[in-house]
Amino acid sequence: MTKEEEILQKLSDAVLNFDSDAAIDAAKASVEAKISPVKAIEEGLAKGLRVVGDRFEAGELWLPHLVLGAEALEAAVKVLEEHMTIEDLESTSRGTVVIGTVEGDIHDLGLRIVASMLRANSFRVYDIGCDAHTLNFIEKAKEVKADIIAASSLMTTTMPFMKDLIEALETAGIRDQYKVMVGGGPVTEEWAKAIGADGYGKDAAEAVRVAKELVKR
Amino acid sequence: MTAPDFWEVLNRAINTGAQTPVRDFDMKIFHEASRLVKDHDIKYDPEVYVPNDDSLADDVWSAGIELFLELGMYCMSSKRVIRFEESEVKDALKEVSDSVEIGEGSEKRTVTRRGIGSKKPPIIVGGVIESDFPEGETFIKLYQSIAEDPLIDGLYVGPPLHTSEGHTVRMGTPLALHLGRRMASWAREAIRRAGRPGLHFVSACPSAIADIAACNPEDGVRKSDGLFISVTAELKTDYEALGKTAYALDYGCIRATHGGSIVGGWAGGPEGAAVVSIADFIASVMVYQHNLDPVYGDHGLTRCPGPVPISSVNPGMWGTELTGQAIARNYRGLNGRFFLTAAGPGTEMQFREVAALCIASLASGRDLFCGGGIRRYKVKPMLGSALENRFHAELGHAATGIKRDDANELVKAIVQKYEKKVTKDGGPWGYTFDEMYDLKTLTPRQRFIELYDKMKDEMKDLGLEFRY
Repeated sequence: MTKEEEILQKLSDAVLNFDSDAAIDAAKASVEAKISPVKAIEEGLAKGLRVVGDRFEAGELWLPHLVLGAEALEAAVKVLEEHMTIEDLESTSRGTVVIGTVEGDIHDLGLRIVASMLRANSFRVYDIGCDAHTLNFIEKAKEVKADIIAASSLMTTTMPFMKDLIEALETAGIRDQYKVMVGGGPVTEEWAKAIGADGYGKDAAEAVRVAKELVKR
Repeated sequence: MTAPDFWEVLNRAINTGAQTPVRDFDMKIFHEASRLVKDHDIKYDPEVYVPNDDSLADDVWSAGIELFLELGMYCMSSKRVIRFEESEVKDALKEVSDSVEIGEGSEKRTVTRRGIGSKKPPIIVGGVIESDFPEGETFIKLYQSIAEDPLIDGLYVGPPLHTSEGHTVRMGTPLALHLGRRMASWAREAIRRAGRPGLHFVSACPSAIADIAACNPEDGVRKSDGLFISVTAELKTDYEALGKTAYALDYGCIRATHGGSIVGGWAGGPEGAAVVSIADFIASVMVYQHNLDPVYGDHGLTRCPGPVPISSVNPGMWGTELTGQAIARNYRGLNGRFFLTAAGPGTEMQFREVAALCIASLASGRDLFCGGGIRRYKVKPMLGSALENRFHAELGHAATGIKRDDANELVKAIVQKYEKKVTKDGGPWGYTFDEMYDLKTLTPRQRFIELYDKMKDEMKDLGLEFRY
C-alpha cells in the first residue's frame, strides 16, 4: 500500500469508526502528503460514509451512526477546505440541500436520517430542524444557494405547510430556482404531485435516489 | 410523598431544567442505551416473537429505569431537560393505581391488571387510526358500526380528519380546535346511535387546543373519557402534551398516555430500543403523572425506519413483547398496547397481523388493547372498518390465558404467512369502509363476511377456541 492509499484508508476508517479526531488527523496527514483534497474527500471520507449508509439501509447500523459518521466527515472536510479552490469545493458536492420538518411538526427522526443519508451521498446539507417556518426554508435556500429544498411532515395536519412552501416560492417568483422534495409518514406520491413538488421519497434511500435525479435535471 | 406534583414537573420543563441542545440529548440516549445493553447483557433473538425469560424482562426494566434517571425527558418547546431523583421515581411508581374506571352507566368498565398469562380477558378499545374519513355522517357511521359490537369496551378517536367544514386543517389552528370539538361530538353521536351512550372514548388530536376543545360533559369528552398524550420518540415532550396533561388534571378526565421507541433511531438496535422503550414509559409515568388517577398507559416499539418498519414482525414484536412483560412484572399500574399493521382492512394479511399481535400481547400480560387493525401507511382515505375491530375483540377473548411459549409458537406460524409480504411501504392497501360495508344497513358485504369466517377458521385450525 502506498502512503497515499494508506491515508485514504485512514480517512475512510475514521468515518467508519465515527471518530472525528482521527478524521481530523488523517485530513492533516493528507494535506501534508499533498494529496488532492478532492481525492481525499471522494476516495477517503465519502467512501467511508457511503459504507455507513449502506449498512444503515441493511439494518446493521443505526441513526446515531449515520450522524456520527457524517460529523467525522464534516470535521475532516473543514481541514481540507482551507486547501481547496471554489471549483474544488463545487466538484466534491453533488448539490446543496436545505432540509427541515415543516411548521407545527416536532418529529425530527426521519429528517435526521434523510439528512445523514444525503450527506453520505456527497450532498451539502443544511438542516434547519423541526417546526421550521416556510419562510425559513426559503431564506436558508437563498443564503446557501440551494439546489433542493426538502420538507418533511409526520402529521396530516402539518402536510398543508408543504403546499405553502411551493406557493411561497411561486409568489416570490423563484420557484424555478429550486427543486422541492417532500416526504414523511403520511405523505404520499399523490400528495407530492397534487401540491406540485418535484420529488417524493418514501424512505431515506429513495430520497437520496430522487435527490440525485433532481440535481441532474 | 416525594413524587413531584405536575406543577413542579412543569416548573422543571419551563423554568429550571438544564437547557441542552437536542443533538446532545439524542446522542446521549444512544451512548447510554448502548452501554446499558452491554452492562445488562441484553440480546435480541430474531427467532423469538414472544420471549419467555423473566430475568431478561427484569434486566430490561432495570436498564430502562437507569437510563431514565440518567437522562430525564427533553422538553422540545423549552429545550430544557426534566430530570428526576431516584427516590422521586420510586415513590411515583409506588403510588400508581392498579385500576381505573372508564365509561359511564351500563358501559362502565373497570380496567384492572391482568398479568402475564392471565385468564382474564383484556379491555378492548376499538377504533381506526391513521386513516382519513369524510366529516360528519360517514365518520359517525364508522364509529357507530364499531360501537355496535358488544365486545368493544371503548373507542379511540383520532388523529384529526384532513378537513373541517370542508377546509384543510392545520395543526394548532382554530380549524383544528373546531374539528377536535366536532369529532368528539360525532363520536358521542355514534355511541348514542349504537345504544351505548356511556361508552368510553379517547380523543387523540396532536394539538392541545383541539383536545381541550373536545372536552364537554354534554356532547364531548366526559370525565369518564380520555385525552391521548404521547411521549415523542425518544424521551421527548412539548408544550402540547404538557398542556393536555395540565388540562386533563384540571378537568378530571382520563389521561391515556402513549410511548414507544423506534428501532434504528436514537435508541440504536432492537436491544437499545427495548431499553429506551422502558425509559419512554417511565417518562410518561413521571411527567404525565401516572401516580394520579385516572390514567392508563400504553407502550410499544411501534415502528422503525430500518428495513422492517412495523411491530407485527421482528424485531418489533420481540422488543414490544419483552418490554410489555417487563412492565407487567415490575409496574403496578395498567399497561396497554396499540396494534399497527402493514396491511390494510379486508385482507388476509391484516387479519393475520391482528391475530399475531393479539396473541402475543395477551401472553405478555397487557391489560388493554387499543385499535382494531391500523394500517401503518396512509395510502387512500377511508381505510378502516368494524370488521377488523371485531376480529381483534373476538381473538382477545379466544386467546386469553395463553402461555408465552404456546403464544410464541402460534405467532411464529402466523407471522410466517405474511412476513415476506411486508414491504417498505407496508403491504396490500386493503379496502375502504364503503367497499367493505353497506353504509345503509351498516353490515359487512358478503365477500368480507366470508373472508372473516375463513380467517376465523384458520385460527381455529391453529387451536384457538372462540367464545363468540
